[in-house]
Amino acid sequence: MSLRNRELVFLIPALVVTTLGFALVYTQKSAELTLTSLTYGALFLALFVIAHLGVRLLASRADCYLLPITALLSTMGLVVLYRLNEDLALKQAMWLVAGLAAFLLVLAFVRNLNMLCKYRYVIGGLGLLLLLLTAVLGREVNGARLWVDLGPIGFQPGELAKVFLVVFFAAYLVDMREVLTVSTRRVLGVPLPPFRYLAPLLIIWGLSLALMVFVKDLGTSLLFFGALLALLYVATGRFFYVLVGLVLFVVGATALYFLFPHVQLRVDIWLDPWADPSNRGYQIVQSLFALAEGGLFGQGLGEGYLILPSGRTIIPYLETDFVFSAIGEELGLVGAVGIILLYLIFTYRGFRVAVSTRDDFSRLLAAGLTSIFALQAFLIIGGVIKLIPLTGITLPFVSYGGSSILANFILLALLLRTSAKTGEA
Amino acid sequence: MDKPIRRLFWLFVLLFVALVVQLTYVQVFDASDLKAKPTNTRAVEQEMKVERGVIVSADGVELAVNREEGQYYLREYPQRGLTSPWLGYNSLRYGRAGAERVYNEELSGKSGLLGITGYWDELIGKTHRGADLKLTVNVALQKVAAEALGERKGAVVALDPRTGAVLAMVSYPRYDPNGLIDPNTMGTVWSEINSDPDAPLLNRAAQGRYPPGSVFKTIVAAAALDTGVVTPDSRFVDTGSVTAGGFVVDNYGDSVYGEHDFTKAFASSINTTFAKVGVELGADVLAKYAADFGFGKDSPWPLGGATSVFPDAGGMDKAHTAQASYGQGQVLASPLQIALAVAAVANQGRIMKPYLVAQVLDYHKKVLDETDPSVWLQPISSRTADTLKDLMVEAVANGTGTRAALSGVQVAGKTGTAEVADDEPHAWFAGFAPAQDPQVVVAVLVENAGAGGSVAAPIARQVISAALGL
Repeated sequence: MSLRNRELVFLIPALVVTTLGFALVYTQKSAELTLTSLTYGALFLALFVIAHLGVRLLASRADCYLLPITALLSTMGLVVLYRLNEDLALKQAMWLVAGLAAFLLVLAFVRNLNMLCKYRYVIGGLGLLLLLLTAVLGREVNGARLWVDLGPIGFQPGELAKVFLVVFFAAYLVDMREVLTVSTRRVLGVPLPPFRYLAPLLIIWGLSLALMVFVKDLGTSLLFFGALLALLYVATGRFFYVLVGLVLFVVGATALYFLFPHVQLRVDIWLDPWADPSNRGYQIVQSLFALAEGGLFGQGLGEGYLILPSGRTIIPYLETDFVFSAIGEELGLVGAVGIILLYLIFTYRGFRVAVSTRDDFSRLLAAGLTSIFALQAFLIIGGVIKLIPLTGITLPFVSYGGSSILANFILLALLLRTSAKTGEA
Repeated sequence: MDKPIRRLFWLFVLLFVALVVQLTYVQVFDASDLKAKPTNTRAVEQEMKVERGVIVSADGVELAVNREEGQYYLREYPQRGLTSPWLGYNSLRYGRAGAERVYNEELSGKSGLLGITGYWDELIGKTHRGADLKLTVNVALQKVAAEALGERKGAVVALDPRTGAVLAMVSYPRYDPNGLIDPNTMGTVWSEINSDPDAPLLNRAAQGRYPPGSVFKTIVAAAALDTGVVTPDSRFVDTGSVTAGGFVVDNYGDSVYGEHDFTKAFASSINTTFAKVGVELGADVLAKYAADFGFGKDSPWPLGGATSVFPDAGGMDKAHTAQASYGQGQVLASPLQIALAVAAVANQGRIMKPYLVAQVLDYHKKVLDETDPSVWLQPISSRTADTLKDLMVEAVANGTGTRAALSGVQVAGKTGTAEVADDEPHAWFAGFAPAQDPQVVVAVLVENAGAGGSVAAPIARQVISAALGL
């Protein structure tokens, strides 16, 4: 079977999930029976078939699993959103349209990755600008300044900056690979590259700290930092850099813990949410309650106790940061692990793309995009299940959020474009 | 460059495995602890959304129904305090009591009984509903018993000796469970009924323990007849008092009966004769029969009751034994226990297990479960039971219990006037009717109210009359 036909076949499970999911939520909300379920099913079909045709046309030799996995994740998200809040589901559906449009546009206009490499400083600059924009114009929500208002639409520049900065890192490291690998001098027996080559690393480290300080955005700064470390390691093959990075991280994080109460708070809540379960620990405690209620097989779609009689969600930010808890309660361990597996398969395919590329830039780009994507999924899932301290970021493709959907579809487009060059089956 | 990528991938595999491990821990292994956390109100909220089963009396009166408020169901008890001693309450804040507590699994639909029906309804998306209960209690009889007792502290139990089905169970004072449901009043009502020195939350019929006084003679007579130590015709002489181990036993009201047989001793409730018979039987035999009748055993009442007490035979001297023989000293019994002891006489020596729930039904009125009457204890032979029955008939016909007699129906019974320190004695009556075909056993206790024959027997008479439809 050809690559694209395989892709088409693998889109079928996603179609089944959407239609069945909506039908289920429907039966549950049986009071107001409309044609929404079919509408959503048809919408999904149209969207992803268009995306599929786009890939056929624009990148016919691209990886055939990434798009179906994305489809499955985003439609699962849509079903859960529809169950939680119909208005948000409608908005999310519109964002999916916008995301797929962006996806096709990137595939259409970025025909050659060298172009990205060439404009690396512009792209990096744009990324920084977006972050600066957040720091200066940002509106504070839930203790973090992530939002910038563009007219009626709230926008999270950090999500887009994520993609831009990975492109920049990858291009930058292609240049610096040689110098970073060849150590010229030793300090206290440790091989160190010249300071001017090390500087970018330190700048990024400083930037992520600054991001934490000014924007109070733990999640995004962890993402940048992690992605940079991953890329450094892939580029140089030297664990030493990772070690330096981790030491810098520990030093920075410790300092932040003692200097900034909001960082301290996050860690304290993580260590013992039960100390104050109805105030500071409320969100994570309720998330754990929801997961416990879900058990092995879940309460069933629409059967969970997620919405208070007042119409608000019992867990604050359930549609965005905590959407995984809703899945855990209604679909159980089985459904939640299913989601984790989808992210793992996505990660696997992403790294496969990286391994099979023929040039350094593509390889670094694919590895970087995959790393930041996987890291984001890990950080937010780990946060809501209390494996690690909570950082407010979205669950890629599943959480409600326009910026996140757009950014991740652009990320997907770049990954597919990278894989199209390799011709790997 | 491939090796670092592979390693990176394995790092992510490791991280994702950590997610799955933690998730499994939270959702499976730690789940029951998390659900039990006091801050976790999910269970209560969930149960409030379930349409709880309706509780109906034997005569078809709704005792516990639901009122919809928003998406929640709140309980309503149309009979108010009348049914509170055993119906209990289902309160958001104060939990549950009585039948609402013991049969919560059925009422909230968690019981496996709902089985296929439950799953099917879930599949077709029907809202979850609990199972209904049909009780053995007859509300009309319950009302008669409550009115007969009036506003006197005490208890009335009526049961069917053939099955153990409880037909009425009254306790006074009572409380109105509806006060514990309404969020606006529950706080005040709760502290009120808890600080009331008369303990309205106590179901005196099953949970109260009182010295039984002379109603206990039924058990002593059973022991004496069953062991053959006496026959109804055994002769005794009463001089008004007798000394046992240095303790002087008197008759109630300082009566002197002279020469009499055992039938007369029972009917007129002669303490001196029972002290002699009890001492002759010995503490060990008395203790054995008391145990056979249920003293010292866990209460068979499904909602939980007090264990009645007969003192340890090893520690009893003659004086103790003599006092125990007419139900004084350290003997304590619940009104339900006394009713059950008398039920043995009415039911050929067998005590049936008392029960409250006759049927569990789903909302299609299909019977899911039915209580099969079962024997709890068999303390005496059916011959002894028949002999004792004659003594009890005589007690109502010509003895202390004449005020329990009904025209047209032979009533058997025994009175009791249990002395308590520094207060009026407790009035007791326990009996059954019709004597030759017993359909109802009634036990009455009125706290500190005087003689059993004049206070308790008339109450029993009204209840028996109503139970037999006279």
